[in-house]
Amino acid sequence: MSENEEGHGFAGALRTIGGHGEPFRGPPCQLVALGGGYFKTSYEADLALVDTRLRRTAVVALVLLLVVLPRFASSFLLDLVSQVALAALGALALNVLTGVAGQISLGHAGFLAAGAFTTAALVERGVTSPLVTLPATAVVGAVLGLLVGIPSLRLRGLYLALGTLAMHHVVLYVAGEMQARAGGNTGFTIPPARVAGVVLRGTVGWYYALLLAAGVTLALVVNLQRSRAGRAWMAIRDRDVAAASVGIHVARYKLSAFVWSSAVTALAGTLFAYQRGFVSVEAFGFFVAVEYIAMIIIGGLGSALGAVLGAALVTLLPYGIDAAVAAVSPGAADYYIFPAKFGAFGLLMAVFLIFEPLGLVGIWRRVRNWFFLWPFRHRPLRAA
Amino acid sequence: MLQALATTLVVASLYALLGAGYVLVYRSSRVLNLAQGDLLTLGGYFVFALAATFPGLPAVSLPLAVLASALTGVLVYVVLMRPMAGHPIFAAVLVTITLGILLRAVIVFVFTDRTRHPLGNLGLTNPPRALPGGAVVSTFDLVMVATAVVLFVGLFVFLKLSPLGIQMRAAGERALLASQRGINFHGVFALSWALAACAGGLAGMIYASNVRLEPSLDVLGLRAFAVALVGGLDSLAGVIPAAIIVAAVEVMSVRYGNPLLSDVSPFLCLLLMLLVRPWGLFGTREELERV
Amino acid sequence: MTVLLELENVEVVYHHVATAVQGVSLRVPERSIVALLGTNGAGKTTTLRAISGFLGSDDARVVGGRIVFRGETVTGRRPHETVRRGLVLVPERDKVFETLTVQENLAALVSGPRRLVSQQQVFEYFPVLAERRRQLAGYLSGGERQMLALATALLCQPRLLLVDELSLGLAPMIVERLMQLVARLRDELGLAVLLVEQNAAAALGIADAGYVIEHGRIVYDGSVQRLLAHEDIREFYLGVGHRADRRRYTEVKQYRRRRRWF
Repeated sequence: MSENEEGHGFAGALRTIGGHGEPFRGPPCQLVALGGGYFKTSYEADLALVDTRLRRTAVVALVLLLVVLPRFASSFLLDLVSQVALAALGALALNVLTGVAGQISLGHAGFLAAGAFTTAALVERGVTSPLVTLPATAVVGAVLGLLVGIPSLRLRGLYLALGTLAMHHVVLYVAGEMQARAGGNTGFTIPPARVAGVVLRGTVGWYYALLLAAGVTLALVVNLQRSRAGRAWMAIRDRDVAAASVGIHVARYKLSAFVWSSAVTALAGTLFAYQRGFVSVEAFGFFVAVEYIAMIIIGGLGSALGAVLGAALVTLLPYGIDAAVAAVSPGAADYYIFPAKFGAFGLLMAVFLIFEPLGLVGIWRRVRNWFFLWPFRHRPLRAA
Repeated sequence: MLQALATTLVVASLYALLGAGYVLVYRSSRVLNLAQGDLLTLGGYFVFALAATFPGLPAVSLPLAVLASALTGVLVYVVLMRPMAGHPIFAAVLVTITLGILLRAVIVFVFTDRTRHPLGNLGLTNPPRALPGGAVVSTFDLVMVATAVVLFVGLFVFLKLSPLGIQMRAAGERALLASQRGINFHGVFALSWALAACAGGLAGMIYASNVRLEPSLDVLGLRAFAVALVGGLDSLAGVIPAAIIVAAVEVMSVRYGNPLLSDVSPFLCLLLMLLVRPWGLFGTREELERV
Repeated sequence: MTVLLELENVEVVYHHVATAVQGVSLRVPERSIVALLGTNGAGKTTTLRAISGFLGSDDARVVGGRIVFRGETVTGRRPHETVRRGLVLVPERDKVFETLTVQENLAALVSGPRRLVSQQQVFEYFPVLAERRRQLAGYLSGGERQMLALATALLCQPRLLLVDELSLGLAPMIVERLMQLVARLRDELGLAVLLVEQNAAAALGIADAGYVIEHGRIVYDGSVQRLLAHEDIREFYLGVGHRADRRRYTEVKQYRRRRRWF
C-alpha cells in the first residue's frame, strides 16, 4: 500500500509512451504526468520520498507552519499538537506491526507501560538522564517485543491477538507488582529530563521535542515500508505461507516487526513518562490499546499517513465532545460527559469499521481518485 | 479443602456460562466476542431495572430480563455483525470491542457507576447454605451451578439432535453451502448470538443478585475468554473441563499466592495453552488455519 | 413441453468493469437434462451463480436480461429463497459439511413445500450412503462426497437441479455411474437438470439438449444429435474425428466465420 500506487515506474513509462526500444528523453524534470498517472523517468525520481511538486510544496508549508506555530498559538493548542505527536509515535509503531506486517497485537498498552516503568525503575535507582534511560528503554522494549512475538511464529489472526492480550495483562501485573512493592502505591514521580544541563520543560519545549520525534519516526516508517524489510512484511501480511515459499525468512521478519514496533512504543512510553512527570499502572489499561488500534483503523490500516491522521482524530475527539457538550448543554454533569466521550469514541470506531474499512486514507484516496480519473469513474483493468 | 472445591465449582459455573457464549458466537461468526463481559453486565442491569419496575415479582422480572438479553443479542448481530460479514477477522474482533465500549457507555449513562444490589427489589433473599462436609455456599451460588448445568444439557440436546441445531452447526461450518441448502444463515447466526447473550445475561443476573452489580463487571468476561481458548474455541464440550481448570488455578492462587496473581492466572493458563496446544483441549486443529 | 427455466440475454459484470457473460439465453424444459459445455473461464460457473443468486460474494452483478423460473423472475433473489422455490444448486467445491455425519448432512437443509423424495428413497438411490450413515462427511471419498451432495440436493425437493462440474476429479467409472444416476432421476422423478460440464462426452451421453458457451457467449445450441454431429464440437469438445492434416484452432474457418457474427 505505498503512496505511489499511480507511479508505474520506468518500465511503465517506456511501454506507454514509446513502445520503441529507446529510452524516452523527456523534459528536464524527472516526472511526467499523463492521463494514467505520474510516471517517473529516472531512478532518483522513483526513490524520492516526496515525489510530486505539489507534495513537496505541501510538506514544506506544513513544516514551516509547525515551526512558527508557537509564536501565535495558545499554549492549549500547542499542548494539543504535542499530544497528537506523541500519539502518532505509538500509532506509527503499531501500524508497522499490524498494518504493514499483519501481526495483530492487542498488547500495545503493555509496551508503553514497559517503557514508562523502565524509566521509573531507573529513576528509583538514581539514574535520571535521558541519555541512559532512552537507550535502556529501547532495549527493554525490544526484548519484550521479542518475547511477545514468539507466539506469532505459531499463531495467526485471532489467536495471536488473544495471545498478545494475555501478554498485556501479564505485563501490567508485573508493573502493578513493581508499583505496589515500591511502597508508593499511587505511582512513581519522574523528574524532568535533563540533557547536558538543558532541561526539557514547558509546553513549547515539549512541543518541539515531540514533533521532532514524530517527524523522525514518520520518515523512518515511510522508508521502512519501501525497504526490503517492508516488502517482506507486506508479503507476510498477505499470505505468510506463500512468503515462506519465495524464500522470505518468515520467523525472522515477524520477530523483527515485533522488536522494532515495541522498541519505538517503549520509547514513546518514556517520553510520556518524562512529559507527565508521573507514572502509574492505571494509565495503561486495555482501553489505551484499543485507542491506538482505533487510530490505525480509523486512519487506514497499513498507511503511515493514516496512522498520523487517525492519531489526530482520536486524540482530538474528547476535546471535540467537550466543545459540543459545552455548546449544547453547558451545565452538564461530569458523569454524563465521561460516558458521552466513551460512547462517541465507540460510535466513531463502529462507523469506520462498518462503512469505511479503509479509513480516512481510503476516503482521501477516493476523493483524490475521483478528481484524478474524471470523467472516468473506474480505473481500467491492467490486462489488454 | 471442601470449601475450596465448592468455590471452584461455583466460579467454574460462572466461567462456563460465559465460555458457552464465546463458543456459540465463535462457531457462527468466527470471532471472539470481546463484549461478552459487557453482555453479562447488561443482563445484571436488565434485571435491576426490571426489578425496580416490578418490585417483588421475580417471576416477571427474571424471564423478561432473559428475553431482553436475547433481543440484545439479535440486535447486535443485525446491526453490527452482519455488515461485517465479508470483512477480515481483525475488523470483526474490533467491532466486538467497540460493542463493549458502547454497551459500557450506555450503562454508565443510564445507571451511573454506583454499585447496585437488585436482590432487594426482586423480593428474594440469598441465605447461606451448608453443604454436607462443612462447606458453605450461598443460595445463588447453587443457582449459578444449576443454571450452568441446565444450560449445557439444553445446548447439547439442541445442537446434536434438533434440526435447527444441526442447521446451526452446518451454517457455522460453511455458511455459503448452508445457503445453497436453503438455510437462512443470517437467522441462524442471529439465534446463536441471542443464545450467547442469554448465557452471559443469566450469568450477570445471578452474579448481580449474589455479589453486586457495577459497570466494571466486564473484567469477568475477560478472564472467561481464557476458558474458551483453553477448552478450544470451537468446542462447547471443552468449556466444561477448561472452566474447572481455570477456576481451580484461580482459587488456588488466591489461597496460596496473592490476590493480584489470581487476576492474572487465567491469562497465564491461556498463554501456556497457546504455546503448547493452541487449538485448545478439545478444539480442532484446522480452526487455526481458518483464521 | 413447458419451459421451467429461461434465461433471456443475461449479462453479468464483475467489479463494474469486466463482462463475464453477455447475451446468454437458454431454456431448460421440464423432465429433461440440458448440458452447458465450455472450457475453463468460458462463463459456465458465472451463469450458474447468476441463476442461483450467489453472485454477490464476488462483487458481480447481473446488469442485463432476466432469469425466469416457473414463470417468476428470480434475478437477484437471495440464495436461500431460490432453494425454497425448487431451484437447487450442487456446487463445484465445498459441497458437503465435513464436520457433520452423513445423516446430519442429510438433515442440514431446509426444503421447499413439494414432496419429491423421502429420505428412504434417497438411500435407495445411494446405497453407499446408507452404509456410511454415521461417518463424518469429511472422511468420504470423492465419489461418495458427490453422491452425498446430490442426495442432499434431492432432499431439498427441487424441481430443477443445477449441477456444477459433476465429474470434476472423479474416476471415469464413477463418473459414468453418477451420470446414469442423474439420468435415472430425470426418468423416474421427472426432474429437470442443467448440467454444467467440461467432460462433454459424459454430459452429452445423458443430455437431451445442449448449449456451448465460449468467452461468455453461447456459440451453439441444439439437440444432442445436432451437437454430436457438428464437426467442430466433435473436434474441440469431444476430441474425436480430426482430419489427417490436423489444423490449429485458429485456422478452422467454419468456426471463425460463425464467431464473426458476435
